[in-house]
Amino acid sequence: MHDNDLAIDIRGVTKRYEEHVAVRDLSLQVPKGAVYGLLGPNGAGKTTTIRMLLDIIAPDAGSIAIFGRPNHETGLLNRVGYLPEERGLYRKMQVRRVLRFLAELKGLKAGDADKRIDEWLDRFGLKTKDRDWGDSKIDELSRGMQQKVQFIATLIHDPDLVILDEPFSGLDPINAQALKDAVVELKRRGKTVVFSTHVMENAERMCDAVCIVARGEKVLDGQVTEVRSSSGRRNVALALVGNTAARPSENGVGRVLGDTRLVRHFDDNNRYFEIELAPGADAQELLHRLIEAGARIERFELILPSLHQIFIERVGASGVETGMSGHG
Amino acid sequence: MDKFWVVAKREYLERVRSRWFVMMTLFVPVFITAIFLIPAWVTARSASGTASRNIVILDATGTGLGKRVADVLTRDTTAVRASNAAPAPQPQVREVTAASLPAAEDSAMRAVMRPNNLVGYLVLDDSTLSTRRIRYAGRNASSIVDTDKLKSAVRQAFTAVMLQREGVKPETISLISNLSLSMSQTRIDERGKGGSGQAAIFLGVGIGVLLLMSIIFHGQNVLRGVLEEKSTRVAEVVISSIKPEMLLAGKVAGAGAVGLTQQVLWIAISAYLITNFAPLVLKSAGVPISGAGGSGALGVSFGGLTVGLFIVIVLYFLFGFVFYASLLAAAGSMVNTEQDAQQAAMPVMYLLIGSWLFVNSVIVNPTGTIARVLSWLPFSSPIIMPMRMGLSPVPWTSVAGSLAVCALGCVFAIWLAARIYRVGMLMYGKRPSLAEVAKWVRYA
Repeated sequence: MHDNDLAIDIRGVTKRYEEHVAVRDLSLQVPKGAVYGLLGPNGAGKTTTIRMLLDIIAPDAGSIAIFGRPNHETGLLNRVGYLPEERGLYRKMQVRRVLRFLAELKGLKAGDADKRIDEWLDRFGLKTKDRDWGDSKIDELSRGMQQKVQFIATLIHDPDLVILDEPFSGLDPINAQALKDAVVELKRRGKTVVFSTHVMENAERMCDAVCIVARGEKVLDGQVTEVRSSSGRRNVALALVGNTAARPSENGVGRVLGDTRLVRHFDDNNRYFEIELAPGADAQELLHRLIEAGARIERFELILPSLHQIFIERVGASGVETGMSGHG
Repeated sequence: MDKFWVVAKREYLERVRSRWFVMMTLFVPVFITAIFLIPAWVTARSASGTASRNIVILDATGTGLGKRVADVLTRDTTAVRASNAAPAPQPQVREVTAASLPAAEDSAMRAVMRPNNLVGYLVLDDSTLSTRRIRYAGRNASSIVDTDKLKSAVRQAFTAVMLQREGVKPETISLISNLSLSMSQTRIDERGKGGSGQAAIFLGVGIGVLLLMSIIFHGQNVLRGVLEEKSTRVAEVVISSIKPEMLLAGKVAGAGAVGLTQQVLWIAISAYLITNFAPLVLKSAGVPISGAGGSGALGVSFGGLTVGLFIVIVLYFLFGFVFYASLLAAAGSMVNTEQDAQQAAMPVMYLLIGSWLFVNSVIVNPTGTIARVLSWLPFSSPIIMPMRMGLSPVPWTSVAGSLAVCALGCVFAIWLAARIYRVGMLMYGKRPSLAEVAKWVRYA
């Protein structure tokens, strides 16, 4: 990949705090126009990485480039939009004035900002015939509205790179859907979107590429399809008729799934089992044995392991626990 | 630099728009005007009061003492009155014998009790000359001004009677009784005479109080603003767009501009109120008004305030404000709650209040060692130096030097504050110890 095609290029970055290393020798590349997921348990170093990316804190070692230039270069961050994990705005200020202030901080002229603010307020339903919330104080808005305003603030200057730290936390399904749509639209317009999350399903649905970090170190990164297929594992999704909560161990199916020559591991997802085949085992043989055992099969599908599975396998329980104390 | 202005502009506009600012800006001048005018009004009123004249003097001394007291009261020149007012009443003198005194006193009391102009009666009995005792009863018996006036009138009359007894010529006696003194106080500095001594003290202390109040008030505002940014978490968005040092500088500049605006408005509104209300107030108190305006009548003069001094005061305010506001901003960035903020601000406030504790010794001796040392220290000179300059001449080299030290102090304060601020703004959790803060400064 050519350097000029990179939106973000982090090389060998380390950040130490007094007692612990928040990020250790982290390198990752985000191509332009990609939707990129930064995955990891709480305290893995995601927020620290994002803050270093935005030049809020300085790394102890390593280099960070955005669009091929060092990230502390003047004016470069005007092309970046940031939604922090902890949201908040000036409570006593009018919505319009807050947005204008934040837009001006990104180098927008007040006049341009005002025009865009109206468009965004309109689009997010904050300006209707009955009521213009733009003239209200932040305090007077509901939580959902405040989140919309914060999101507008992130995008008001039409950034080429959008960084969202845990954007889905605290969103109801409708707002989560709106956020997903917004991300897809940004990608369609050629923008680069990086978001951190510990909800793997979101990442799997939306991301072109991901990086999994734990304990401040990169566990793996790459295209989502590559990551999923490169694990060298073959999985089978198995759903049985009428078997939603039945215990497989109580019948022949249980004996088949317990056969370690065929199955290395299985995970009961309630609606279906995600089965990891043992090395050298044949999916056809498993199917044959299951039918022999009297299973009434609704779904039998060869699938790639989910990011969630990979995450659990690679990060493990220990990675989650050690990180619980600090900020991500 | 553009972003610096964006921050300063927000800081300024949001504060100036607040209800609190409008209230303080209007209330303080009203308060100052009241402080000026109420004592002036009280003085003017009591000076012009004719109550002390509208009395009956019961004279049983047989020496004409009562007549002389009446003369002194009538001559009293401090009792100025509006030219269109009715002629002031004359004290009535009743010469009585010692035997008829009780009856006369009784009738005088009844007269005072009736709703008429008579306010009281003065008794000079036959033993007054030897015992030096007099008695007064009246509606205004608790008025210090009136009774003082009465006492001093009797004293004068007494002196005249004694002199007469010693055989002093009547002309000499009349000369002595009519003797009046007036003293004007003029301050001298190396440029010659200028302003009155009283005005200088007033100006010096006034400037000091104003600077101290502004620094405390608006400095605390900066602290609260930083705390708000931190606790609402808006700080992180802001810091992702602007360097923390620039943000800090913009905030301090914006709040400082608010302080300056408020002071200018305070002075302008107070001056307007005093000049416009003083004539009304004094007129209602019966003082004749010359065309010169109220402040002249009050004897308040801003004559000591030259353009040079004004510029220097503004510079000291700016330096003092930047010094303290930066440190207070750093204090605000270290903590998460208002209570912790007050504690974190304590060391900074000690510096400020500590400087103020020496104000008395500076006023007493504006050229003394304490005054000179304090006007060279960056944390105290913004308050002490303008005051010293108001009180006594200070060589311009000292002023320039002290301003330079202040500027250096500001650079240091901003540097220190920016380092604490940079780390502190994103630190949540418990309040850091001093050792931890020292570490931030080293690592930031």
